[in-house]
Amino acid sequence: MIKVRNLSKRFGDSEVLRDVNIDINKGECIAIIGPSGAGKSVFLYCLNALQPHNGGNILINGTDIADKKTDINKVREKMGMVYQNFNLFSHLNVLENIILALVNVKKMPRAAAIEKADKLLEMVSLIDKRESYPDELSGGQKQRIAIVRAIAMDPEIVLLDEPTSALDPTMVGEVLAVIRDLAKQGFTMIIVTHEMNFAREIAHRVLFMDEQGIYESGTPDEIFASPKKPRTIAFIKKLKTFNYNVKSFNFDLIAMCARLELFCDKYNIERKTVNDTNLALEEMITYILHHCYKRLQTPNIDIIVEYGDIDKKIAIEIVHNGKPVNPFENIVFMADGEGSDTEDLGIFMVKKVASDINYKNEDGLSKFRIKI
Amino acid sequence: MNISTKKESTALVVTVSGRMDAVTAPEFEKSISDFITQGEKAFVVNLSGLEYISSAGLRSILACAKRLKEQSGKLIFSGLQGHVKEVFSISGFNGIFKIYESDAEGLKGV
Ligand SMILES: Nc1ncnc2c1ncn2[C@@H]1O[C@H](COP(=O)(O)OP(=O)(O)OP(=O)(O)O)[C@@H](O)[C@H]1O
Ligand SMILES: [Mg+2]
Repeated sequence: MIKVRNLSKRFGDSEVLRDVNIDINKGECIAIIGPSGAGKSVFLYCLNALQPHNGGNILINGTDIADKKTDINKVREKMGMVYQNFNLFSHLNVLENIILALVNVKKMPRAAAIEKADKLLEMVSLIDKRESYPDELSGGQKQRIAIVRAIAMDPEIVLLDEPTSALDPTMVGEVLAVIRDLAKQGFTMIIVTHEMNFAREIAHRVLFMDEQGIYESGTPDEIFASPKKPRTIAFIKKLKTFNYNVKSFNFDLIAMCARLELFCDKYNIERKTVNDTNLALEEMITYILHHCYKRLQTPNIDIIVEYGDIDKKIAIEIVHNGKPVNPFENIVFMADGEGSDTEDLGIFMVKKVASDINYKNEDGLSKFRIKI
Repeated sequence: MNISTKKESTALVVTVSGRMDAVTAPEFEKSISDFITQGEKAFVVNLSGLEYISSAGLRSILACAKRLKEQSGKLIFSGLQGHVKEVFSISGFNGIFKIYESDAEGLKGV
């Protein structure tokens, strides 16, 4: 249905896409992931000729979209586009937004267009908002309307560019539900997304874009569980990690814990593991700050928390450039009443919640690896 | 962290909820310390709403206990749950302090 051959796209001197090749079949759901600036949006814009390409060919059902004889409006009618920022017309109400192109471009009678819009609004449970203006809707509702507007034209392909990234986290779910529904109905879809779990769930094929093109592609399992090429491996690994850097004695513990919570939520990590991880981090940072750095030094403690998809365990890596001490070597702590020596209490607790602790001193850096 | 109190005949019931970590533990220590200064001697600290505690929290508890001991006072805990219960157990604190299931039992234990 879509054939892309040696596609290239430049902006001035910078080549954003080079020699991109791909075939997309009818009914396929493709997820595009990759770092910012990789050309994911530009690739979508080229596909529906919102931006002209500089080399190669894009064939939609055999029609070359850059061919002078091609009626580009006819080609665009076959493609519905959903943008990150909704792009609804603010001076038109929901119904008018949806039927505008149906009436003006498709020349559908107004009554039939309204009937169609109402059906679709029911599908996304927004029929009671048909008279509302975009400003009166939540982000999630606006995006559901934008999706309805795109599919009202009966496109053969729906292109979605980060449809949930402008949304409040509480509204992501309702929009993903609508997209999931479209996938089930067998729409051909290309979705650029940062929602990796979602991509993994609905896509038939995942394209990882980097280095001016499709760097690696495969089934969701191939890309997410066993990527082959170095940049894909690094990207996927980074997704599964929580990174934090402590650069001051007055580091923001509350913010760190809040971010750790978000990370753990994303992977549905059980409460006990979250608390144990939190405890290990707080105790380790406190210990390192007070035993490995002098008051006037600027600390530099790097923290990486990694969640293993396979063993479902958390691994904490802590690297610092302070005085090399292994606190686990010689723990003095005895709970013997109110007079207990609590100097090592924190480290003692880390040892209790960890299943494995590893310390090494390498190139002037102290490295801990703690498994929870 | 949130701290609320209720005066009972034998003790002051102090209910602590939220997190007791390096940031919030001093707050707990200060409240208890203030009550001691005001003349309170027996405390039942209800931790059923406490979600998280680190060594900083445990140290504050020890500091309070120490101050109370000097005045022959009492520090008793009730309602420990999940993570907090576990931390009390791995740190040996459940051997140092009297811990009860409920405030009522704690008050009887004073
Ligand atoms: N209209 C433009 N003029 C000049 N450069 C552009 C234009 N649009 C995009 N670019 C450049 O092309 C590159 C790819 O941009 P693109 O928006 O496709 O990235 P992306 O992969 O979608 O990133 P993100 O995940 O941040 O949305 C970037 O370096 C960007 O600066
Ligand atoms: Mg983009």
